[in-house]
Formats: sequence, structure tokens, C-alpha cells
Amino acid sequence: MFTEWSDWLLLPLTALIIFLFWASLTPFETLGWWAGWFGNAIYHDVSISEAEAASPSSRHRHQPATAYVLFLSGIGRVSGQTLSYREQEFLNRLRKRLPDAVVIDNIFPYSVNNLALTGQPIFAGLWKWALDRKLDGPALAGYLINIRNLLQVAIAADKRYAPIYNQAMAEVMLDTVMRYDFDPNSTVPIFVIGYSGAGQIAIGAVTYLREWTKAPIYVISLGGIFSSDPGILAANHVFHLWGTRDRAQIWRLLMPGRWSWMAASEWNRALRQGRATIIRMEGMGHTGRGGYLDHRPPVEGGVANVDRTVELVATIIAYADQPERIPRVA
Amino acid sequence: MSDVALPGFLETLRLSLRLDPSIYVLLRDKTQGVYYAALIVLLAGVSESLGQSVVLLLNRVRPRRFVLALSITLVSNLFGYLLWSWTIWSVGSFLTRSEQSWQEVAVVVGLAYAPQMFAFFELTPYLGNLIWGILSLWSMLAIVVALHYGLSLEPWQALLVSALGWVFMQALRRTVGWPILRVLSWLQHRAAGVPLTARLEDVARLRRHTLRNWYEQLEARRRSVRLPPVRKKRRQIDSQTNHVHRME
Repeated sequence: MFTEWSDWLLLPLTALIIFLFWASLTPFETLGWWAGWFGNAIYHDVSISEAEAASPSSRHRHQPATAYVLFLSGIGRVSGQTLSYREQEFLNRLRKRLPDAVVIDNIFPYSVNNLALTGQPIFAGLWKWALDRKLDGPALAGYLINIRNLLQVAIAADKRYAPIYNQAMAEVMLDTVMRYDFDPNSTVPIFVIGYSGAGQIAIGAVTYLREWTKAPIYVISLGGIFSSDPGILAANHVFHLWGTRDRAQIWRLLMPGRWSWMAASEWNRALRQGRATIIRMEGMGHTGRGGYLDHRPPVEGGVANVDRTVELVATIIAYADQPERIPRVA
Repeated sequence: MSDVALPGFLETLRLSLRLDPSIYVLLRDKTQGVYYAALIVLLAGVSESLGQSVVLLLNRVRPRRFVLALSITLVSNLFGYLLWSWTIWSVGSFLTRSEQSWQEVAVVVGLAYAPQMFAFFELTPYLGNLIWGILSLWSMLAIVVALHYGLSLEPWQALLVSALGWVFMQALRRTVGWPILRVLSWLQHRAAGVPLTARLEDVARLRRHTLRNWYEQLEARRRSVRLPPVRKKRRQIDSQTNHVHRME
């Protein structure tokens, strides 16, 4: 009965149990926040992203903004500040392309109260260590951060926790745009860009953000991975940018509502009603070289991916209320 | 049989999780078996009540009451176990005319609770339902295997006894057991101080802020708290190439 191979199985089994234990504890952060164990505060980074301060769309503006663009970063982040050079580059170019819009990225979409991982009460030390590993290696330890953030995405997609997590995110988003002089009673549109796993978080939060503002809300999923969430129908329109070489999109198969034959799911209803649009990004992958935000021009010549993405996002922002004018292939 | 070395608790647990037939036969008539079964049921109860604690937190229970409500859930789980083994014992003796003592049945049923020790993992975001399904199947299989080997029933008898036992228990809960369950749920309710069940229609009601325009208070707070000045020195943007340079 007890052969050698069954002893070898113990190692992956232990790893699985440790992972499940960790995963099961994650919701307590969200639930505890809901129960009021951690207070009501929404935390903000003391230093607003420096690059942003130097750009024209900084906090104190003279003429009113034409649009608010909230960028939710992929799962590699530990705080409201981006670590990724490519994301920074994308945001710089987007700000340049849209001088009249307020582009905001200092938001940490994987924490119910925008508290950076390195500022967490108990585990700050662990996350600082993981961040150092992420920056200096070994990279494997840095993946702890990605797994932790991925679990938050799973919370946002879980029917039990989503109403709580998504409300928290909507609060953080509203609080953030209001810091940039957004008036909830105005009709200046809000565009939430969710990159990768943040696609779920962007869509989830719309359900609640919708209730608190009169402004139209659009979601731009940048290679987003999301479930069929009621937020898809709450948004004015969902634009799903889908690279033809984006292998990470395979994760959508884990979400039953995204299967094409689940006709009654929110996602398929939105597609039929023309409230969601899939835009194929020719030759683009998920991340890194050849990804949506790659700033180096392709070897065969032509425009860099990041510029194509920026141009498309700018077109979406200009014509969001007339989605038929937006190209289906970019 | 007293010269056969009995397995330790961890070994018992491992064998019960593997649904190993030998463990049921070995422990069913031992005092140690009773302790082990009780411990497994207890641990499974702790795990299960933690796994189902979501609703307590949804209703914003205070930490101390959280613990209190969990311990009462635990007591109610133990009560459920006693009821479950008693119904299986009575249905089994009625149907098969076998001469097993109630204690033996209780040990075997208790060992079959082992998979429920993982019920805590039902909290896992997104995969919780899947895990719940797997654990339910595992437990069902465990009880059938346990009755088959532990009480020397034929497989179909084991299946029938557990199914009828379940039906009988549901009937008991709704009739004779009802006042006891009412007392338990009243106790639970008192301990938690908040409702203990949430239905799908409650989701729409779940709002952190009851005021629709709660953010106006946020706005007032935001005005009163001044943001620290923006630091500009560390990076600068090259206006020609649009590249960010680190200045550290």
C-alpha cells in the first residue's frame, strides 16, 4: 500500500495544502475590513507618482478635465506606485496624447483600502522582502506578490466576497478621482483601464461606482482577465482589448460565464446587446516583449505596440459614446 | 487482538483520509478509537465552522462574539455527529439485524468525518464551491466505505443504510429534534448578535454605506486633510525622448 511513489506525492500535496491554507485566509482581509475591524480609512501614498507631477495633468488644473482615466495595474504591484517601466512609459505617452484628461495611476487595486503591501500591519516585512527579491532576484520569491494579488482577483470574482471587495474598490476609485477634483454630480466620463487581472477588478467595481455618480463609466480591459460579472452590464460600455498572441487569455476558460454557449451570462448578453466590444490587437502578446505596452518598435519596423495601444485608447476615449466608430481590429 | 500496535493519531488520520479499510476494522472496538473519532469530529467541526464563518463577518460581528458564535456552531456540529451516528446505528440494526454496539458505529462514522477537516478550504476565493463539491463526494464515499468495512455490511447495504440514515436524520431534525435545534440556533443567534444566514436577495441590501451620497462626507474630510507636497526631485522626464530617468 505504501509505495515509494506515494511518498513522493507528499511534497506537491504539502505545497497544495500550504497554498490552500494561504488562499483560505486571504478573504479575512476583505471580510475583516467589511466588519469594521480595520477602520474606515482609505490610504494614499504620501508621494504622488513623480512622473505624474511633472506632466500637464497634475492635481491642480485650470480648465475642467474632459475625462478621468483610472489605470489599474497588473498583478505585479505592491503599492500605488508602478514598478513596471513599460506601464510608466504607457502612462506618459497616454498623458501626452490626452492633455485634457486626468490620467490617474496611483491606486493599488489589490487592497480593500488602498493600503500598500509594504504598509500592511503584520506582513509588511514579508512583502518588503518579496519586493526586494522581485527587484534583485531570485525572481521566484517575487512571485509571492503576484500570487497574493491574483488571490485578490479571485476574491473579486467570487460570488460570496465580490459584493464586498467590489464596493471597497469602488470607494477607493471614487475617493481617488475626487482627490483630482472630480464632481460626482458632473457628467465627465470615467474610464477605468484594467490591465490583466485588474480587468476583473475594474468591471467588478463599476456596479457600485455606478450608484454614486452621474458620470458615464466605461471599462477598457487591456488584455483583461475577468469573469462574467454584473458590472459588465452596469458599465456604459466595456471595451476588451485582446491581443492575437495573448496566451494569458486562456484563463477566461476558468470562468463559465465567458464560455460562448452560456447564452444568459452577463458577458454574452452584453456582447449581443452591443454593450461590450472585443477589439483584436494584431500580433500583441500579454506582457513583456511584444506585449500591449512594449515601447520598442518591432524588428520588422513599424509603430511600437505601446503607441498603437495608446492611440486606440485615445480613440476609445474620444468616441466612447459611439462604439460603432471604434475599429474592431487595431 | 491487544498485541497489535494501534496507529497513532496522525497515522489514523492519514489512513482515514485514504479510506483505508484496515483502520475501521482496527479501531472500531478500541477505546482509543473513540478518542480518535471524537478528535477528528472536533477538528472537522472547527474547520467547518470557520469555513462557514463568512456570513458572520458579512453581518459585521465583533471579534469576541465571532469566537463565541463559532464555539456554539461547534457544539451544534458535535450534536449533529451524535445524531448522525445514532440514526445510522438504529437504521443499520433495524435493516440488517446485526449486533453492533452504538460505540462501534460512532467510531466508524467519526473516522469518516476526516475529509471534512479540509472544510476550512471552502473559503478559498473562487474555488470554494469546487472544493465543497470534492469534499462532499469524498465524505459520502468515506461513509459508505467505513460502513462497508467497519460494520461488515455489503456495499449496497452500506449505501442504503447511509442514505436511509440521512433521510431519517432529516426527519428527526424536523420533528423530535426541532426544539433542540431551535434552542441551539437561538443560542448561536444570541452569541453572534447578528443574523446567521444570508440569502441571495440579501446581496442587493449589502451596502457599506447606507447613504447614497455618503461621499459628500468623504469630500468634507478630504478638504480638511491636506495632502503633503509633491516631491519632484527624484525623477525627471526628458522632454525630447519622453524617457524617465532615475535620479537616485
